[in-house]
Amino acid sequence: MNCKKAGVLISASVDGELSLNEEQEFLLHLSECEECRLEFEDAKKTKMIIKEKIIQFKAPQALIMSIMQLTSLGTKEHEDTLLYE
Amino acid sequence: MDKPDPTRHTKTRTKKESLSREEHQKQLEFQREAIVHLNALYNYALHLTMNPSDAEDLVQETYLKAYRFFNSFERGTNCKAWLFKILKNNYINRFRKNSKEPGKVDYDLIKDFYHSIKDTRSDTSETESDYFHSLLHEEVYQALHSLPEEFREVIQLCDIEGFTYEEIANMVESPIGTVRSRLYRGRKLLRAQLEGYAKKYGFNTNNSQ
Ligand SMILES: [Zn+2]
Repeated sequence: MNCKKAGVLISASVDGELSLNEEQEFLLHLSECEECRLEFEDAKKTKMIIKEKIIQFKAPQALIMSIMQLTSLGTKEHEDTLLYE
Repeated sequence: MDKPDPTRHTKTRTKKESLSREEHQKQLEFQREAIVHLNALYNYALHLTMNPSDAEDLVQETYLKAYRFFNSFERGTNCKAWLFKILKNNYINRFRKNSKEPGKVDYDLIKDFYHSIKDTRSDTSETESDYFHSLLHEEVYQALHSLPEEFREVIQLCDIEGFTYEEIANMVESPIGTVRSRLYRGRKLLRAQLEGYAKKYGFNTNNSQ
């Protein structure tokens, strides 16, 4: 495998979505190629940045309540889980 | 014959109870499978609409529909993915059709949006000290939103929500190969954006401890 081919696989590899064959060839290339290895590390980092820096908002309490009512559920325990988890 | 018939009495009651038990079962299962994803659904709706009250409407509608059609949910598959797909369809039907300039990002709105909430997330767990960590939440958000929607969407579903390619493919109604290449291309664009922001800091690494 050359760098060009490995480069295309980096993204899916970070997600663990390569086929077994691809994965093997890709790892083999990484073991021999410093440049692609760094590229791979950077790609992992970028994924992490999105995960960490994009703020995840929690549903407002009123919305939780009204959806609980939609399905006529009002288990206190469950509301607590959603609100304070 | 004025002796009460206990058998008959029990029978009627049992029938009544079993009917409501069925409904109760459905509710319990719905709670276990679907309601636990409420925060994720709301978060996604908010990122789609950029408007809290629209997001609430969207989530309400999604859960109403989900509950009504809960029987069509394929047991054993990812319920979160199923809900996201319903939400996405609702979004397209309700909001995108009326949008004057689809895909246009209002940066002021994003700024207000981010300033209006208090970031409770702690970054102290980040031990690495490279330039990526000098990026602000707002900047990463802007970088993500500067991408064409088809790229932003798959990155969001993959990196933030943790869906598999197969689940995403089903959600955006495209082949897995398309999802894969959109992620590849989208991330390339995103990296370029992020590095652009990072340059502002002169690849600052002096915030290391
Ligand atoms: Zn290489």
